[in-house]
Amino acid sequence: MIELKKISKWITINGRPNFILKDINLSVKEGEFISIMGPSGSGKSTLLNLIGMLDDPSEGEYFFMGNAVHSLKERQRSHLYKQYIGFVFQAYHLIDELTVYENIETPLIYQNIKSSERQAMVADILDRFQIVGKKDLFPTQLSGGQQQLVGIARALIAKPKLLLADEPTGNLNSRQGEEIMELFQQLNNDGVAIIQVTHSEKNAGYGSRIINLLDGRIESVN
Amino acid sequence: MLKNYFKTAWRTLVKNKFYTVINISGLAVGLTIGILILLWVQDEFSYDAFHSKTKNIYKLENMVGTGSSRQLWTQTASAIGVLAKKNIPDVTDEVRISYNGYYGLYKYGNKLFAEPNTFYTDPSLFSVFDFKIIKGNATNPFPEYNSIVITEKTAKKYFGNDDPIGKVISADDKINLKVSGVIKDFPKNSSIQGDMFFSMDLLQKNMYTGNNDGRNLSNDFIQYSYTTFLLMKPGASLSSLPDKLRKLHLGVKSDDTDIGYVMMPLKKMHLYRSDGSDGGLAAVRMFIIIAVLILVIACINYVNLSTARSMLRAKEVSLRKIVGAARLQLFMQFIIETALLFVFAALISLTLVYFLMPYFNEFSGKELVVNLVDYRIWEVIFIAIFGTLIISSIYPAILLSSFEPLKAMKGKIAAKISDALFRKILVVVQFTFSVILITGTIIIGKQLSYVRAMQLGYDKDHVLSFNMINMNKHYDAVKADLIKQPGISNITSADVDIVNYGGETGDNSWDGKQPGETLMLSPIGVDKDFIPFFKMKITEGSPFTGAVSDSAHFILNETAVKAARLANPVGHKFKMHGIDGTIIGVAKDFHFTSMREKIQPAIFYYRPAGYYKIYLKTTGADAPRAIAAAETEWKKYNAGFDFNYSFLDDEYNNLYKSETRTGLLYNVFAAIAIFISCLGLFGLASYTAQVRTREIGVRKVLGASVAGIIQLLAVDFIKLILISIVIAVPVSWYVMNKWLEDFAYKINIGWSVFVLAGFLAILIAVITISFQSVKAAIANPVKSLRTE
Repeated sequence: MIELKKISKWITINGRPNFILKDINLSVKEGEFISIMGPSGSGKSTLLNLIGMLDDPSEGEYFFMGNAVHSLKERQRSHLYKQYIGFVFQAYHLIDELTVYENIETPLIYQNIKSSERQAMVADILDRFQIVGKKDLFPTQLSGGQQQLVGIARALIAKPKLLLADEPTGNLNSRQGEEIMELFQQLNNDGVAIIQVTHSEKNAGYGSRIINLLDGRIESVN
Repeated sequence: MLKNYFKTAWRTLVKNKFYTVINISGLAVGLTIGILILLWVQDEFSYDAFHSKTKNIYKLENMVGTGSSRQLWTQTASAIGVLAKKNIPDVTDEVRISYNGYYGLYKYGNKLFAEPNTFYTDPSLFSVFDFKIIKGNATNPFPEYNSIVITEKTAKKYFGNDDPIGKVISADDKINLKVSGVIKDFPKNSSIQGDMFFSMDLLQKNMYTGNNDGRNLSNDFIQYSYTTFLLMKPGASLSSLPDKLRKLHLGVKSDDTDIGYVMMPLKKMHLYRSDGSDGGLAAVRMFIIIAVLILVIACINYVNLSTARSMLRAKEVSLRKIVGAARLQLFMQFIIETALLFVFAALISLTLVYFLMPYFNEFSGKELVVNLVDYRIWEVIFIAIFGTLIISSIYPAILLSSFEPLKAMKGKIAAKISDALFRKILVVVQFTFSVILITGTIIIGKQLSYVRAMQLGYDKDHVLSFNMINMNKHYDAVKADLIKQPGISNITSADVDIVNYGGETGDNSWDGKQPGETLMLSPIGVDKDFIPFFKMKITEGSPFTGAVSDSAHFILNETAVKAARLANPVGHKFKMHGIDGTIIGVAKDFHFTSMREKIQPAIFYYRPAGYYKIYLKTTGADAPRAIAAAETEWKKYNAGFDFNYSFLDDEYNNLYKSETRTGLLYNVFAAIAIFISCLGLFGLASYTAQVRTREIGVRKVLGASVAGIIQLLAVDFIKLILISIVIAVPVSWYVMNKWLEDFAYKINIGWSVFVLAGFLAILIAVITISFQSVKAAIANPVKSLRTE
């Protein structure tokens, strides 16, 4: 599904390249559950953003579902992204002006899905996540765990094949975090590939593979 | 998708009430003024365009002489139209219109009216133009020499609901006029207006009775009192026409070698002048510019506020992109947000336009109606609203939809220098406009008071005047009666209106006049009291004494003496209107037209009877008594007429009515432009204070004073205003000099005007900014730091 070949990312400071990622080689199969770990500044989030096509590598090749992402045009990339990838953030990043229902609905709108179909899909996921009662509330009226649930629902609404999560439990207490991880486990069992960045050994353990990053390099894989 | 856009837009507007209110009020005020002015402009351009043959109708005018003595006569002789139609195949028809001065008072049954707007005309008036006869015989509007065609309004006035055709109105008890046709009232935007039209046959009878050297309407090239229109064949070439007309003219009157003809297209006659001088177009142009300025200022507010605040929306934009929004979709979202705001602004402004219309009409001297069924209103509304919508929506939408999601989310979007620069430029543009308008206001005000205070060269204070009509035959008796009345201290009469007199004659000669030279003189027929009455100065020679010999005496003004190059004018022979006479005196120059014009050559001649105007000298306190006495006297001779009098002071002020009105409008527009600019500045200042809350907090904790904080916040804006002033000064200097060029007597634009305007602009800006700055500066830093 994902094939990263010699991916590097650097920024230039005072004329000298400062590596954030260096020579990353990684392949991920469909349906895998991968955790990325590492200390602050090791390049975890950057790697995740690269995979999520929110950022471009400075060097190297990236194949996604057989497409050479590094040579795709913006439009094609965004098409690919919309179709296959969902994103979950540590800070939830819901749109404050929209209700729970509308937040979840937004990706469908941008994919030009018909209104009746959208209603069915959103109703379905609200039901599945047991947040039907919250659908008309605004994000600020929810607890952190509930917000993250909405964030995940939003990421999943368009039925992505890959879910990218950047410290999804970072702002949550341990009980809430556990619930989220169990949800991930369940999703993974349903066939969604998951790549998560985490600081927690325990959460990382949910994954089938753990990739340890240090100073922009893959230090170990277990 | 659209529904979603609107929902989001609505919530954003509601959430940011403060900025929404600022934006909507700025736009609403701007649109209101823009729409009002554009409606006015549209009306000005619509003049005479409604005839089906407008494109092929031309007004004939004469251009006489060459070089500096070149003059434009907007009326022609009677013969040229007839000759043109007969001899030039391209001319399909001609129409002449000539003012009727023969009759004044019209009677039907026991109804009696004075009709000041009556004209002689050709029957073609009703076929060349779209002034169709709606009652009566359209193919032959004037079957008899005494037939008349009247408007519906006039018909109603005389005959109520009776059929007017065949009814007889008697004019001054001299002639019976038979109504043979009725036309619709003239549209307001027609240059041709009138209430009653007589046949040319009647004019022929009135003018050429007795000995007239064989002159008639078809060969007369002496009297230039006809507005002549030619209907041309579609596609006919006009370039050779003036030459052909000149040849026809010279064929009849060969000594008019300096005559020239010009063709003024009908549609242009309202706004343009054939000699290239500014007609109404100058005002139209100025108001278009002001409308555009005000709309642009309103747009700038919106653009500035929305781009400044775009940082606050960076997160939302990024998220939408991450969940899959394409740039176009985001672009649309922001366009719709702007559009929604515009809907509110437009609704408010339409309501305002509706309620302000009567006041605007009073201001502008128009009779515009907000008629929502009229498509032309919508034309203006759509141009104003969509124009401003497009200008103000596109840039913010492009900017907002261009954010790169990752950077924006991390707050790294921090004002790109170019954005801030762009906003600064816009603020400078806004304030440049405002300073120009402030300067304009000051200069117009100064010029008007200068004109009012100028020495006229005669004493117009407390002088009551009116047209004598039938009193003129009994002038001596009237004078003897009135002078006995308390409150009236002096009486004189003349055949002109001294405040604004434009009559001229070239029929004169003197020793030293060169062959072919034309000297246009304004002849002023007066009685012997006129010159002392108005305290005019005689610099050489003596005034009229009332002796019989005065009928061959002339008094020239200084300008006339100079124009005739007379070294020793007193005693010099002078001939005018066939009278061989002598110059007995020279009068000091005085203003008998608007200050726009230089003093023209004038000549006083003695006229012992048949005056047109009487002048009564009174005092401020005695004025009511003088009016009452004059009215009693009036009733003896002019029982059928209303007593219409005026004071010369008022007449004089009326001369500057259009300037006064322009000045007033200018004041209002300048105030509005400044108001809108300040709204924008207020919004920007609030935003700056909001964004810098944390910085201000930290600075205060570190010991910054309130004054220091205010300075910190205000100094950037003040710099921009200073730049605006620097740009505005030369521009307004140039523009206002252009405006002043119209006046023959004008003020000098001194530095003080610009200093004052600049000071005002800074003052207004400082007051606007300090509201927010002071609020931010005195806020408790603990609070502002905690919220971060």
